[in-house]
Amino acid sequence: MRFIITILFVIIFSFFSKAQITLKDTVVEQKLGEVLITATRTYRQLSSLPLPAQIVSEKELKEVNTTRLNEILNEQTGLITVSEFVGGEGVQMQGLDSQYTLILVDGVPLVGRSAGTLDIRRLTVGNIKQIEIVKGASSSLYGSEALGGVINIITENPKKTGITGDLNYRFATFNAQDINTSINYKKEKFSLGAYLNRNSSDGYDLINAVDVNTVDPYTNYTFSTKLNFDLNNNTNLFASGRIYTEDQDYTPTSEESGEIKVNEWNTHLKLDHKYNKKWSSYFEFYATRYIAEEYLNSVADNSLVSESDYDELLMRPEIRATYNPNDKSTFIGGIGMDHEVLERTDFTTKPIFNSPYVFLQYDTNPNEKLNVILGARFDSHSDYESQFSPKAAVRYELSDKIALKGSVGYGFKAPDFRQLYFNFTNAFGGYTILGYNTVETELAQLIEDGVVNENGVLVPISAFQGNLKPENSIAYNFGFNYKPISTLNLDLNLFRNDIQDLIDTQRIANKVSGNGVYSYTNVNKAYTYGLEFNASWKPNNQLKLSGGYQYLIARDKDAVDAFKNGEAFASISGQGSIELNEDDYFGLPNRSKHMANLKVFYDFEGIDLNTNIRGTYRSKYGLYDTNGTVNGYLDKYDDFVDAYSTWDWAINKTFYKNYELGFGVENIFDFTDLPESDADAIYIGNIPGRIIYGKLNITF
Amino acid sequence: MKTIKLLTLLTIFIGFSSCSNDDDDDPVILRVESESVSNLYAPQEGGFDQMGNPLPITGEFTKFDFSSGTTTTSTTDWDIAFRGTNIIINGGTSFGATDEPERTGNAAAYMENSTMANVLEVDVQLLQQDSATGYVLSNWYDYNPVNHIITPTAGKILVIRTRDGKYAKVEILSYYKDNPAEITTEIATNDARYYTFNYVNQPNEGVTTFE
Repeated sequence: MRFIITILFVIIFSFFSKAQITLKDTVVEQKLGEVLITATRTYRQLSSLPLPAQIVSEKELKEVNTTRLNEILNEQTGLITVSEFVGGEGVQMQGLDSQYTLILVDGVPLVGRSAGTLDIRRLTVGNIKQIEIVKGASSSLYGSEALGGVINIITENPKKTGITGDLNYRFATFNAQDINTSINYKKEKFSLGAYLNRNSSDGYDLINAVDVNTVDPYTNYTFSTKLNFDLNNNTNLFASGRIYTEDQDYTPTSEESGEIKVNEWNTHLKLDHKYNKKWSSYFEFYATRYIAEEYLNSVADNSLVSESDYDELLMRPEIRATYNPNDKSTFIGGIGMDHEVLERTDFTTKPIFNSPYVFLQYDTNPNEKLNVILGARFDSHSDYESQFSPKAAVRYELSDKIALKGSVGYGFKAPDFRQLYFNFTNAFGGYTILGYNTVETELAQLIEDGVVNENGVLVPISAFQGNLKPENSIAYNFGFNYKPISTLNLDLNLFRNDIQDLIDTQRIANKVSGNGVYSYTNVNKAYTYGLEFNASWKPNNQLKLSGGYQYLIARDKDAVDAFKNGEAFASISGQGSIELNEDDYFGLPNRSKHMANLKVFYDFEGIDLNTNIRGTYRSKYGLYDTNGTVNGYLDKYDDFVDAYSTWDWAINKTFYKNYELGFGVENIFDFTDLPESDADAIYIGNIPGRIIYGKLNITF
Repeated sequence: MKTIKLLTLLTIFIGFSSCSNDDDDDPVILRVESESVSNLYAPQEGGFDQMGNPLPITGEFTKFDFSSGTTTTSTTDWDIAFRGTNIIINGGTSFGATDEPERTGNAAAYMENSTMANVLEVDVQLLQQDSATGYVLSNWYDYNPVNHIITPTAGKILVIRTRDGKYAKVEILSYYKDNPAEITTEIATNDARYYTFNYVNQPNEGVTTFE
């Protein structure tokens, strides 16, 4: 498959390089450099950054006709959206799981990671100006969660004065409907915008043998509003609010039926003031709350089977200042505090976190060719070890055409509430999971109640008197950018992430019944490394062609040792075990060694028509151990999801300037990987097959 | 009686075939036997009630005797016994579970991370007996909390001293009837607790090798 893509690349490149000669005389649009804020928290040109970063433009978002964030991220090089164990889709970056990527909207985070993953299907893309993706640990600016990188969704601001608006409707397979409208008002110093989205689907059922949907029907609404007011030439007030609400049926088995309701809001206030040429300040207040309620009833007698509530609140005041001593250097510093409260079923307490933080970054250009960024942040915390996160990055222009980039940074992810305060006993399995901070009291209680025999304690209670450490990593990125001609851009980045103190469950006691008591501990070390290559070629205003490739190795260090030392074994279908060696280790689950994408965008300028074809490829990957290997390590004898590629096509035509009709097919070749029997758990649950859609946009 | 016959035959055989050794007092060397057992049924009662609340596990253990290679109902002549996922040995003291048979022998055991072919010798230092702390042979499987399927952990070899001081090694292949390649929900629900295992028996008392 990789060969096919390579060949395709070569063919298309050679075809268009011929085409280029004939189009040589066409005036190429002078493109203003793309600017992003996520990488440094100051506006910086993408092409001048010392860090690996990408921007998904509004133009691309509009032309590909996607509706949710997961769909568009999945098409970006090195990113893959992964279905998680408990539902929801997160994004994997540089081979790091979705809980290690920080998701921001206009620079502030979303919460609601009830099982670690932030479900990015929650985010509509209808009102997005651009998506900024910064790879590599970024805790020096953002603190917790920015271990693999940061994805920042920048929402749209009103562009034209007066009242403007638009109405968009998309209808697709599975009765998936997306309708959104925005109304904006703008005067010289004032702008106000409102956006409303309704998104619904009948869901789908991939497994016909079972009378249960793969994705249950859902309906959600997003309402957001944004205000900008220039109080005077130097002072700007920004206020925004967002409400999200979703209802989804919940039918895990044919005997049970329930509902999941999600309610989320966030509010964001910011006051910018420019004192003089050198000094500016930002006062910011942000609050968000995420509430998820679910219940499950028995279909037979309507009695309650289970109920679960999750209610998280985050409040963050922050003050930032920038100082430009000269036009070569910028300092940005900030001080703030995260106040978090969580109320949740199966928690012994209602935990409250307060973590004050401070950060400082120095961005300087000692000469025209060199850019250096040095930054650090300190996060203080009561319930886990405080963190100091430094970062350094350098970019050096060897010539007009080639620039070298390198960065080293520290990233961490705070233990989540669950890892600290869970107290859960599974009714069916009979096992108990205790958060690290609850072990001392709860395990003592279990012993007192006679559930656990004193002899059954495997890890002494005294081991839980300290603090759980945040999972942390050091990220190295090194690469270059090469622009041999103005229409061609080549970008290569080598990366490595050394992750340690990964939090895993461990069995801490045996119950008299033979079941286990589990808690969390810092044990695992892992690493990922690889390379990312991006190429884009825009020979004229009509055509844009881009391709990306990521090579990835992601491994658990203990697994590497176990395979090396002959401690890993595999059962070969009922014939007994064989010993595995170093070469048999496949790496972490859900990682593909090769991922690639290819996109062709074409504008038929004279007739207001644009079309595009996009393909993504991922090589084989494992989901979990299928042959009894210790600790669930994957080896080459396991069952894997085979390599696959999907191709999307879209076409849009504008009529009478304000009306646009779109049509497209996602997953043209109707690719699916369905389970062969109910014992086959190695399949793809989030690719339902071909999707055909039509859309209508009206702007006014 | 059968054993004696076999012993006699073997003695004669060895007596004829061994030329280098004329000493009549030499012990009789029996050949190491490689065997397999299919569908040893180890039912249990209790566990959980309809609502999922834990109940005490009850019911008789299914006992196995290495020297005869069969299950047995004898109260003394057994080496290991199975009930659900629990495996006990005829040596040591009770863990306190309901319906545990009385341990009359001197069996002991340990688990080695290896393959059947690579366990060539017993490390007698590692041998342990069942006790109030738990069963020696408790950690042989993985439990999948999603589909509740039990799979033997690969590379877990059960090394056992039998009740009468002989040695055996065991590898469990399956917990489901007829050792199915794929364990469907139906099999997991209806055909569980049927052990299939390979074992190698060293029938000579005190000999700690399997070659």
